[in-house]
Amino acid sequence: MISFRTLLYNGNTRLYLALASKAYARNIQYRGSHLLHNFASAVFGYLYACIWIGLGRDHSLGEYGMIGMMQYITFTQASLWVSSFTTNGLGIPQSVRTGQISLDLMRPVHLFAHLAAKEAGQIAYQFLYKSIPVYLIMLLALGLMPAEGGRTLPLALLALTGSAYLSICIGYLIGISALWTTESSWLHWGNQAIMNLLAGFFIPLQWLPLWLQQIAWASPYPFMLYAPTQLYLGKGDPALLLGTLAWCTVLTLVCLLATHVMRRKVEVQGG
Amino acid sequence: MTQSTQMPNRTNRAIRRYIKLYLLLIRTSIRSRMQYRFNFALGSILAALIQLSEFLMVAIVLAKFGAVQGWSVYEIGYLFAVMTFSKTLYRTFGDEVHHLESYLVEGELDQLLTKPLPVLLSLMPRSFRLMLGEVIQGTAIMIWAFGGMLGSGQITWWAIPQTVFAILTGAVVLFAIGLATATCGFWTTRISMLQNMTEDAAQTAARYPLTLYPNWMGGLLLTAIPVGLVNYLPALYILRGELGIWVFPLLAAAACLALLLALRFWTFGMSKYQSTGS
Repeated sequence: MISFRTLLYNGNTRLYLALASKAYARNIQYRGSHLLHNFASAVFGYLYACIWIGLGRDHSLGEYGMIGMMQYITFTQASLWVSSFTTNGLGIPQSVRTGQISLDLMRPVHLFAHLAAKEAGQIAYQFLYKSIPVYLIMLLALGLMPAEGGRTLPLALLALTGSAYLSICIGYLIGISALWTTESSWLHWGNQAIMNLLAGFFIPLQWLPLWLQQIAWASPYPFMLYAPTQLYLGKGDPALLLGTLAWCTVLTLVCLLATHVMRRKVEVQGG
Repeated sequence: MTQSTQMPNRTNRAIRRYIKLYLLLIRTSIRSRMQYRFNFALGSILAALIQLSEFLMVAIVLAKFGAVQGWSVYEIGYLFAVMTFSKTLYRTFGDEVHHLESYLVEGELDQLLTKPLPVLLSLMPRSFRLMLGEVIQGTAIMIWAFGGMLGSGQITWWAIPQTVFAILTGAVVLFAIGLATATCGFWTTRISMLQNMTEDAAQTAARYPLTLYPNWMGGLLLTAIPVGLVNYLPALYILRGELGIWVFPLLAAAACLALLLALRFWTFGMSKYQSTGS
């Protein structure tokens, strides 16, 4: 089943590119409004940076220092639009409620690849119109220059691409759970809260208690924010990318398996 | 019976009738939620976990660095729990005010305008939100914080009624901020960005002592977006013995003033409402 589907992906590359570009084009209609939203996101980032600045007045901030923590928060806040703020369950819960899911499953395209392509377009848009403006606003507001003169950005962006794929996989699994619960928004919010903690959004992972660090490293979350940020700050080993790759492979297999199981569970809602 | 005694009686009857109707609508709202018991239970558990993970972030910072600007881990826990309770109260009764954007975008507010009640009074009972997860988490952190501070003799049992008062006035302040923010939607239609700043970001900021922030931001959080009145200001007196007993009448007056201003702004905004429906 899985290998047959894998073959199917290869034959539909143009379709997936079209789906991604349509999702991108749909969003670009609202870019003016979204650019305004970036201000709110930057305010949040500035607030978190202020907390570290306040703490830095009384305490040494370890290997990062105050400037390092400001750089850290700037990068994680901007990256949230790629690795965390994805569509709730990739839109599956809504399809389950309306019954659209039965039609989606009948399409001659694998559901995971179909939805992943659409979400990839969405994330590409968010990266260009949200992550980059938030990053620039925060650099300006905090009076910073890109870490390491920007030399680490290519590697960090590569890690962030893996992070985007991981967030698509997790979003898909959350969406699929709606077939059993009809409502998965709580899982979506729960995932975001866990991510804030285990992905190192606000606190670098090495400052977590040991037991929480162990839980974090047994999950894909550190590869979604912490690893790209470490690479950005020039503190991470490029071998971290192997961890991202491994989790991308594992979660892809889980998504394919979950689709296989969910096909036997579809109940059309409404009437 | 004179005309002057008839007027208050009529007002009392109208208020009693409205409260009866409000309770009926709340019962209906709870019953509709209970049709999906599994979702309700799962939502409550996950809400408690989300809240816990948010507190863990604060607690980890404290565990790593000790006191924050002289505030102990119990005091910060107290700030967090008071904010959680006040927010829970506000969102339990006023959740639909927070979600006014969907009414404006879909044009559903028009339906409410046809009802024989003020729009705000017919809007609020449409969703009575049971926030069990937040109550569990807030209670657990409050008991832990109180236990620590009572044990060390920092506070006495008097702190409990004082805290209940602070939570109630705090809920009114948060409701007023939420209502004023929602009212901006009568001009802008979309309000989520504004809510991110005046509600989400401001409430997150107030989980830490306001002395942590630059002076201008601390001032903003005590005046223009007065979330500091919810937990920080009462904590200064209840936990640290600073300021004076006058904090409580000040909180009550500030909550009343905030509510009055928000209601007047709402009435003004309603007069400018233009339907977006086709």
